Amino acid sequence: MGTEMMDHSEAIQQMAAERYLLNELTPDAREAFEEHLFDCPECALDLRAGVAFVEEAKVQLPKLAGALQAPVTFRSRASKVERGWWHSWLQPAFAAPVLASLLLIIGYQNLVTYPGLRAAANQPRLLPWAPLRGATRGAQLAITADRQHGVALPVDLPQPPSIGAYSSYSFNLNDPQGKLVWTGAVAAPSDEAGGGQRLSLVIPGAMLSNGTYTVRVTGVTAQGERIRIDQYVFDLHLTD
Amino acid sequence: MQFYTFDASYISNLCAGDLPTQEHFFGYFSELLQLKLRSRLQSPHAIEDVRQETFVRVFSVLRKGGLRQPERLGAFVNTVCSRVLSEHYRSNSGGKSLNVEGRPELPDKSASALEIVVALQVKDKVREILLDLTPRDRSLLKAVFLDERDRDEVCREFGVERDYLRVLLHRAKQEFKTEYVKRLGNKMPLGENV
Repeated sequence: MGTEMMDHSEAIQQMAAERYLLNELTPDAREAFEEHLFDCPECALDLRAGVAFVEEAKVQLPKLAGALQAPVTFRSRASKVERGWWHSWLQPAFAAPVLASLLLIIGYQNLVTYPGLRAAANQPRLLPWAPLRGATRGAQLAITADRQHGVALPVDLPQPPSIGAYSSYSFNLNDPQGKLVWTGAVAAPSDEAGGGQRLSLVIPGAMLSNGTYTVRVTGVTAQGERIRIDQYVFDLHLTD
Repeated sequence: MQFYTFDASYISNLCAGDLPTQEHFFGYFSELLQLKLRSRLQSPHAIEDVRQETFVRVFSVLRKGGLRQPERLGAFVNTVCSRVLSEHYRSNSGGKSLNVEGRPELPDKSASALEIVVALQVKDKVREILLDLTPRDRSLLKAVFLDERDRDEVCREFGVERDYLRVLLHRAKQEFKTEYVKRLGNKMPLGENV
């Protein structure tokens, strides 16, 4: 009779004793485990204890009938129906509170969040204007803002060192944790405009937190070379 | 206090009729044979027949000095049992028992007062373990072991995986085993025979 072999570590790893008690082993695996069992006192004791427990549990469990409780998913054999693994999620005890929560979320979004966003996108707004000074031009600026309005920061692009020096300007915004939270780019102004330009960097309130922000401006040449132009640092204080 | 190791000395004592060694041998392997045979034979009489015949043949070989590796006594007993079982399947068309002649006398197994007390302590421990489980887990064990329902069906209804069932059983068994070893002894070859 050809059987596979099973050593002690395999018996432990595979929970062979439990599988044996649950009658889950294939015939070959069962014979391999039994062959190991007869030579392994540790596994023999393990199985004996398991059998003793199960046999006594079968006697005790009916006496504990008052302490037994069928789960919500428990069904009688008469109503046995093939169901997918997902069906347990649809049981009332679980599904009802989940659906109620979803309705609340959807309702809030439709009644509060989305109208607010539409209003913000379609209506004029008043924003505090906080002129920035570059790092080369003085002390760090303190700015006060709130999360509802955000903040608008005018940024003056200096004249380039030479006509056509930059094809575009790149902006990096770092938050108080030093994390890069936004990058943007604008084309360089035409030579007829004199090369310099004032832009407004509008930061939405949702992005803001108390602390020190940094805006770095980089000029990008036609060849893709990046040249640091200026850095603006400001301390933001939120009022809400 | 006696310790047993499956070696040449053990085999010699067994064949010489040393009572403690025989008690250990029959006690240790009777249980293992019972576990092996109950999943293969329906009739308790058939199980007893095969078990008895296994012991007869094992003793026959041992007395002739036929076991070359005494430390493999366990595997030898298992092999003999498998052979006897195969013959039983072939010959059993009407529940005919195997030859009963020459069967060794088994030690008396009637429970002593101490064993009865120990059995009660074991019952209490099992009850304690079951009461520590959630009602759901108790119901799960009942469905599997007492109602003997299909495992996959039970797992689906209780919304658990087969692994959950194995781990549940493993934890209960491990907790019980401590008490089991303490109360009943382990009758291990390398253990104390209480």
